[in-house]
Amino acid sequence: MTKFRVRGGMPLAMLSAAVATATVLAGCSTVTGGNDPKGAANRLTAAGTYAIESLDPHGAQGASTGTQFAGQAIFSRLVRPKPDGSLTGDLAKSWRANDDASEWTLTLREDATFSDGKPVTANDVVASFKRMMALDGPNAGNFPDYTMTATSGTEVVIKAPAPDAAIPGKLGLFYVIPADVKPDDTKFFDKPVGSGPFTVERYTPGEALVLVPNKKYWGKRAELGQVTIRNIPELSARLTALRTGEVDVVWGIPDDQLPALQGEKRLTVKTVPSTAVFTMWFNSSTRELADAKVRRALWQAVDFETIIKQLYPKTGTLADAPVAPVVLGHAAQSPVGHDPKAAQAALKAAGFDFSKKLRLQFANAEFRPFIQAVASDLAEIGVKVDALEKEQAVFTEDLLALKWDVNFQQLATPTFDAASNLGRLYTCAAKRNGYCDSKLDGLLAAAGSSTDEAERVKLYGRASEIIWRDAVGMFPMAVGIAYAWNGALEGFTPDPSGLPDFSTVKITGS
Amino acid sequence: MLARVPFAIVGLYLFVAVFGPLLITYDPVHTPLGDRLLSPGSMTSTGDTAWLGTDGLGRDILAQIVYGARTSVVIGAATVGLSCLVGVGLGAVAGYARGWLDAVLARVFDVLLAFPAILLAIVIAGAFERSVLVVVVALSATAWISFARVTRGVALSLRERAWVDAARVMGVRGRSILGRHVLPFTAGPVIALATLEFALVVLAEAGLSFLGIGLPSSAVSWGQTIANGKGYLESAWWISTLPGLTLSVLIINIGILGDQLTARYGRGRLDDRRTKTGDPL
Repeated sequence: MTKFRVRGGMPLAMLSAAVATATVLAGCSTVTGGNDPKGAANRLTAAGTYAIESLDPHGAQGASTGTQFAGQAIFSRLVRPKPDGSLTGDLAKSWRANDDASEWTLTLREDATFSDGKPVTANDVVASFKRMMALDGPNAGNFPDYTMTATSGTEVVIKAPAPDAAIPGKLGLFYVIPADVKPDDTKFFDKPVGSGPFTVERYTPGEALVLVPNKKYWGKRAELGQVTIRNIPELSARLTALRTGEVDVVWGIPDDQLPALQGEKRLTVKTVPSTAVFTMWFNSSTRELADAKVRRALWQAVDFETIIKQLYPKTGTLADAPVAPVVLGHAAQSPVGHDPKAAQAALKAAGFDFSKKLRLQFANAEFRPFIQAVASDLAEIGVKVDALEKEQAVFTEDLLALKWDVNFQQLATPTFDAASNLGRLYTCAAKRNGYCDSKLDGLLAAAGSSTDEAERVKLYGRASEIIWRDAVGMFPMAVGIAYAWNGALEGFTPDPSGLPDFSTVKITGS
Repeated sequence: MLARVPFAIVGLYLFVAVFGPLLITYDPVHTPLGDRLLSPGSMTSTGDTAWLGTDGLGRDILAQIVYGARTSVVIGAATVGLSCLVGVGLGAVAGYARGWLDAVLARVFDVLLAFPAILLAIVIAGAFERSVLVVVVALSATAWISFARVTRGVALSLRERAWVDAARVMGVRGRSILGRHVLPFTAGPVIALATLEFALVVLAEAGLSFLGIGLPSSAVSWGQTIANGKGYLESAWWISTLPGLTLSVLIINIGILGDQLTARYGRGRLDDRRTKTGDPL
């Protein structure tokens, strides 16, 4: 229980040598047998952060990282975000809104086909949308009461009940499957037919997904012969597999492990800023935290700069807004400095009850050190914190029921648009953190319905200012994702959402 | 002389568990991040020496081991005490009463014995809010069965002994016979078993804490410290290794001690007596 047996020095070195040889051979085969991407050596193995539990992008697991990752390899979307956050057409050639952005018309490309050779039509798109809404999974939550209709074989119209300029961004979470797949058809996902760059060769839920290039793919065909996505839950085992060459790409690596990997010549290590921000909402509906002065004082009491420097020196940066810099609608705010004395004085002046324990809930063991460090700083000024680590399901249930005083989440914005973060979570109607401000509601509604991007950025900036000033939560850290990959891979781009695209990757011999 | 070593080592652990926290101050909530991952013997920012190093949040490992010893001993003693009370009570009644009561109770013991103990503990500890009491109850849920079985066996044999017959003939009430003439003689095997159970409970508690179930995060436990060091096995081996060694040494020594006690007071001795007197067991 206490010790891991690591392979001895010699065998490890020999193994590395063997892997290096294999890699060189792989390179040779790519060069000489370039026309045969199914060549045995032209294979890549990756170990991501989360397991792929389901391949159904419309189902209950649809928003999980694993299913999203599989979805974008196997299926196509109408619109997808590029690694820099800007949108690009996938199945849609172009898209336009009506005047108040409540109705969007998307024109589909004609050459797209599914892996079984059938063309992708507007009918498939509409049927997929209806299936997603019928299953009512987490992605359907982005489109409450929205409808989609086909106006021709290559044109679809999506109608929103209220103006929504963020629809193209949200469509990045909507995957198209053939029209004849029923909502309860689970058999289809054993060997799904999609229009993405890869098709499924073999799939074991929670363990491994083996992908091969889709021969009928309408875009540029993937270079790799085979991509295997493995789930290695234990971090040390994952990193050992990367070192020995058993896997080629690993991401989501904690900061403390990075120096050792950076020392390895064979590996490329890179950290990219993600769309996620550590978000620590205060429950403004409780008596103790209803006062903005109290919330702000608590924020002031924590030395986030030091915590980040010590715990996340490589992947963390002090956040300057409720959303990450890569997200549309990010506007830098003035930093909340660390001043425990002022914080304590402000709490006393506001009549804060120091005898009450604040319930700080969080869901994942990887955040435990961060939470403990925050609790330590709050304890310094006499604020007692009960750090409650909960199972994911319990955490979500309590989160929605507001059964907490401070809630910690690593909140990502997968659509790269503040609408799905600020616009969705901070309104009075959302009731997500007990905070309610009519002016903020007005700003968020205006930002959501404007089609002018500059105007939206400005409005979200003003909304961020209110959220920041009133300390709806603490926004300590913008999160980066650390990737490490085998230097023999070419064309690999670390993805800010933790969903790397392997269709552009090839293995070279160098 | 060598036979005394386990006594001395277990005694040392008990001494540390009782008096250690009085000598060393440790606050699990306080995290001096500047001192994180210091190797054993390093100087901390406050000028103290971290004899066994510090963990990923700058907390002293020696202090965690000392405070963890207290947690282990408290939970171990409480669980064994509770299990002993329940197990010995039910076991003695079943063994002395015989008949249908014994048949029912003995089958209950057998059925419960079929449950995997650690899984049952995980389910119970996971279902309730974390606290020391929940851990004690979760671990006692299966630990009492061994006591019940041993006590029943001993009681079955004791009830046939001459002095029990004599008491019965003199009209002493069943409850008094059980209390005065049967229970005192179960003490030997029960103590031997309690020692072995103590080791298992300490190990199970560390297992639960390692999995992050049971104890609140403000409690200090060897299992938690070992789990915290899991990610640092290569770079900071001392976080997991030292509490792990501490735990192993304790378990091994209690095991040897338990064997010695069993040899002296356990079932083996009783079996010898049985063969001499011809009593059925």
